[in-house]
Amino acid sequence: MSQLYDLRVAIENKIKTDALDATDVKGKIGLRSGRILALISPHTPDDPVAVAKLRQAVKDVLNINL
Amino acid sequence: MKWNLIRTKVLAALVACLIVGVGGILALMHYSFARNSQTLAAESVTGAQKLFTILEARETSKMTAVSETLMMNPQVRDAFAAKDRARLLELTSPLYPKLKSEGITNWMFHTPEPDMVVFLRLHNPAKFGDHLNRFMDKEVVRTHSMVIGNELAKAGFAVRILRPFYDSQGGVAGYVEFGEEIGQFIHAMKNQTGDDYGLLLSKKFVDRQFWADSSAVWKRRDNWDDNPDFVVADKTTATDKIIQFQGDLSSVPAQGTALEYFRDGNSVFVRGIFPIRDAAGNNVGAMFVVRDISSFYVAMRHTQNVLVLMTVVALTLGIILVLTLLSRLVFRRLEHIIAVATRVVGGDYETEIRVSSDDEVGQFEQLFEQFRRVFVELLTHVPEFQEKPELQEK
Repeated sequence: MSQLYDLRVAIENKIKTDALDATDVKGKIGLRSGRILALISPHTPDDPVAVAKLRQAVKDVLNINL
Repeated sequence: MKWNLIRTKVLAALVACLIVGVGGILALMHYSFARNSQTLAAESVTGAQKLFTILEARETSKMTAVSETLMMNPQVRDAFAAKDRARLLELTSPLYPKLKSEGITNWMFHTPEPDMVVFLRLHNPAKFGDHLNRFMDKEVVRTHSMVIGNELAKAGFAVRILRPFYDSQGGVAGYVEFGEEIGQFIHAMKNQTGDDYGLLLSKKFVDRQFWADSSAVWKRRDNWDDNPDFVVADKTTATDKIIQFQGDLSSVPAQGTALEYFRDGNSVFVRGIFPIRDAAGNNVGAMFVVRDISSFYVAMRHTQNVLVLMTVVALTLGIILVLTLLSRLVFRRLEHIIAVATRVVGGDYETEIRVSSDDEVGQFEQLFEQFRRVFVELLTHVPEFQEKPELQEK
């Protein structure tokens, strides 16, 4: 399991928990981080820069630290 | 307010236009007022100078006519020729109050040259026998014809005529002089124009002791120390406050000059000055002209306020119109494109971009919609999508 995939799962859990608009939230995070969340799989290799960008995007959109 | 937004930049540019527009109007109105007030001041000076010349000419004509009439009176002629002061006084004194009521305040008979002393002063009969030794006295002796001009004397600054007085044989029995105080001209001028005037005399031509004495005689305040270079001989205002001149009277150009406008309370005035020469051609004084232009100023301010208000209203409407158009034609449609792009990235591949027009943004909408379709088509070929269909979004 990659860190990127863990982040994706955490995001989806947060969306479910807070009953957020999934496509809107994922779209905003995807545009900010430069990654399409749907394309992140458990086998996606970790890239520290991509992880940092995704965390920052989550912080910007959802205002949470993952 | 986000300064990176086009909306903010456009708004800032339009507000800057508004400020520049209002500032420009204010500057233009100020410039216009300054120019117009200068023109009004110049007109006041020119008008006052012409009026002064007309009054001078009218009064010298009157004094000339009086002197002509006087010389035709044989009793007066003989009494003067006989140097019978008592008889001359007896004959002329009943006439003096009438002439004085018409403005002729000075009336003198002079003995002929070489002595040329004052033989009789109708305005001060007790005083005689003194030498005046003025420019006009020398001129009338030299030319033996009538001399007209302004002359400072102990009785004041007056426009005078001095002419030979002939006896029955045609010889010069002496000279007769009439004079009118120039100070009284300014009151007539004020009645005609409504402007205020001040008669200034250069201290170079006025004796300090004479000024103190004449102030006592005329029961006026000794104002010698009020100004460094001149004294205010007469004025039409109760105060000297609006009569302010810092320059040298002798340097005032012959055609006069307009001075700066100034404010006193709620009133606005323009001022000007023109020189007054004596018979010898010296700039012995000047006439100070003050015109109240408050009504003009109020009208200008009203116009300025209307212009500023109209500009603010017009530019505000312009700003609203421009921002509304930009919002409808550009911003909302861009926001729609961003929203669709966001949803596509978020997994909603069904939402399409509506092409709302064939303008520039419409062409971009069309292009972006084509790009969205290519993107979605591309995604279906990505292995993660094929291998993990559960990850595919609806």
